Amino acid sequence: MVDDSRAHEPRRTPRIVRPYVLTQGRTKAPDATFALEAQVRSLITSSTMARTTTPEARRIVDLCHEPLSVAEVAARLLLPVGVARVLVGDLVAANAVTVDVGAQDAANDVALLERLLDGIRAL
Amino acid sequence: MESALSDRLAQSGFAANARARSVPVAMKIVVAGGFAVGKTTFVGAISEIDPLRTEAEMTVEGLGVDNVGAVEGKTGTTVAMDFGRITIGPDMVLYLFGTPGQDRFWFMWDELARGSIGGVVLVDTRRLEDCFPAVDYFEALGVPFVVACNLFDGVATHHPREVREALRVPANVPVVLCDARRKSHVQETLILLVEGALRRAQSRQGR
Repeated sequence: MVDDSRAHEPRRTPRIVRPYVLTQGRTKAPDATFALEAQVRSLITSSTMARTTTPEARRIVDLCHEPLSVAEVAARLLLPVGVARVLVGDLVAANAVTVDVGAQDAANDVALLERLLDGIRAL
Repeated sequence: MESALSDRLAQSGFAANARARSVPVAMKIVVAGGFAVGKTTFVGAISEIDPLRTEAEMTVEGLGVDNVGAVEGKTGTTVAMDFGRITIGPDMVLYLFGTPGQDRFWFMWDELARGSIGGVVLVDTRRLEDCFPAVDYFEALGVPFVVACNLFDGVATHHPREVREALRVPANVPVVLCDARRKSHVQETLILLVEGALRRAQSRQGR
């Protein structure tokens, strides 16, 4: 089921700032290291953010009104995963987004696996 | 504050509902195999989005070397991973992550495998040895996996039985033929994987 209307082709606009400049050189998120599949969800709208907010932070908040994985945030912003993690971590600290770490032990969760199996069969 | 709230919700039995309303549970399957074996094709055949590419940088941590200059100067290696998404329902989403083609990026494999349900090892039977690292990896990790022989040009060059014998994988590891371009083949492969994961989870629960 390939639904072209939902395909996200990232914009290939050249970036003029080196990625880790956006994070002031930080390579680690302040608290947790979010999983690639961890779901990011906005708690605010970007219009309420301070004027000094970076465009990247605004875009993350705009993108994540529907929950989106950390990997998708990185891919859509054309940023390395490490940079996206730091930016998302900052937004968590600012109460702008929340990150759901997801099922901690999905591989051993019978109920989740049953639901997943039914879902894949129904595709 | 957020966690205090979710604790209260959990106590009141509301956690499941709160989760269903807000954020879907994310599940993850790793698609591994040698270089140019068709991992992205496999992901793209069933993903609801065109496979996205995300890049990770070989960090200081990844290199295991205490050298901050590696990040500052950053001429470091970039590892690309393609991934796709399948919405299972309003409360569940499945991600398929292709491993980087090069075996030396083990640090990325660990990151991908963490929290995953298991793996699909895609095999080009004309270059069987390319899949050895992936088979070794999943075996050592003890996670469920399926060996899928990609039918390039839709043609089987080897019988799955031959591949099984060559790889010497345990009997509980399915070895199947799979045209990575065809959604139904990819779907069937994923079903086999999740069935295996489910059986394992059930037997563990019973212990």
